[in-house]
Amino acid sequence: MMIKVENLKKSFGANEVLKDINLEVQKQEVVVVIGPSGSGKSTLLRCINQLEDITSGHVYIEGTDIADKKANINKIRQDVGMVFQQFNLFPHMTVLDNILLAPTKVKKISREEARVKAMELLGKVGLEEKADAYPDSLSGGQKQRIAIARALAMEPKMMLFDEPTSALDPEMVGEVLDVMKQLARDGMTMVVVTHEMGFAREVGDRVIFMDGGYIVEENEPRQLFEYPQEERTKAFLSKVL
Amino acid sequence: MGVNPLDLIREYLPFFASGTLFTIGFSLAGIVFGTILGLLVCFGKMLRNKVLSAPFVCYITFFRGTPLFVQILIIHFGVVPAVFHQSNGIISGIIALSLNEAAYIAEVFRAGIQSIDEGQTEAARSLGMDRVQAMRYVILPQAVRRVLPPMGNEFISLIKDSSLLAAIAAPELTYWAQAMGAQYAIVWTPYLTISFIYLILTLGMSAIVNRLERRMATK
Repeated sequence: MMIKVENLKKSFGANEVLKDINLEVQKQEVVVVIGPSGSGKSTLLRCINQLEDITSGHVYIEGTDIADKKANINKIRQDVGMVFQQFNLFPHMTVLDNILLAPTKVKKISREEARVKAMELLGKVGLEEKADAYPDSLSGGQKQRIAIARALAMEPKMMLFDEPTSALDPEMVGEVLDVMKQLARDGMTMVVVTHEMGFAREVGDRVIFMDGGYIVEENEPRQLFEYPQEERTKAFLSKVL
Repeated sequence: MGVNPLDLIREYLPFFASGTLFTIGFSLAGIVFGTILGLLVCFGKMLRNKVLSAPFVCYITFFRGTPLFVQILIIHFGVVPAVFHQSNGIISGIIALSLNEAAYIAEVFRAGIQSIDEGQTEAARSLGMDRVQAMRYVILPQAVRRVLPPMGNEFISLIKDSSLLAAIAAPELTYWAQAMGAQYAIVWTPYLTISFIYLILTLGMSAIVNRLERRMATK
């Protein structure tokens, strides 16, 4: 079991965004989370690596309760890669240094060794020639592919994607999804919050539909998209498909 | 009258020269100590624990909310004699300017740090960096670039404000201008002379800051 979420609740002040979420993600599984905006999908993802403190309940990463005071969250996060909607590349560093920073400073890997690995990852996302470029000179799709490479440089056991293509121009969505598909084929455990239903259908092992802070329905993609059981799922799908 | 101003300036030239060096020295000391102390105060104020951050908030409030001139008097006639058992204009001057500058630098840095997008910290933390690493490698390098222009303004103010130290007989530029004015009962010659020197110093400072900004921007 890579991720286990148990009775998770999350409130911002009086606003309860997540209301009793239960979720399990197995090794090498690709779980896609869909739902209307404001349904709590991004918050759920952010609770999984404690970018948001959880209000109550538990999140276990490989059996470790991350809300436990004794748990070393910095160590746990090394195993949980995250890709953001807004890329969040470090603008004051070259692409290569963006990728090298965490392996060299956190894992204390030598720069030479990390560099070999970084170039390999850049090759994987098709951007070797951009190693010495600064993020500002890249397109959105390129930035997001670099952000994926940066997360992979820590050799995480699982990856969280928070609407990775939502800030992209339509013609750049494909290049990012292709990288993610390859990652899924390579056996990466992934939780993906997205509005790309085609991706959910093609790559997802399981699709979760969230609305109003609850998991309303979950199923394998074909079942969920073609035979939704819940009224809210049907209403949502009729709007987006 | 009949006295040639140039002759008077020539006579006071050694004093103006040493006064200029003192003014530069006070300013440099204020910049260096003020920046170091300011960074510490800035981090202190940003502590999440309200009890721990309170002293730093008080510090900033006091030094920004009271006149520098009053602070200089308190430090020169109160604090320094109490600690060193004698008063010393140079020590008092350095302490007063540094403490005052630190309060302003702290606020400049805090604004700079908080202006960096939250997503930068989140990205750093999600890669396994702890709070300190994220600050050191990701946030501060970006914040430094952003605070350079307001820091330059602070440094220029500091050069000008050091003239207040004349009141505690610290031998900087304004002190010697006052001495010259008193000796010969003249106004224009001493004060226009030091105004000219102050202008050179402040223009020099803004040239240095501009250069730094350009160098950092090209990266």
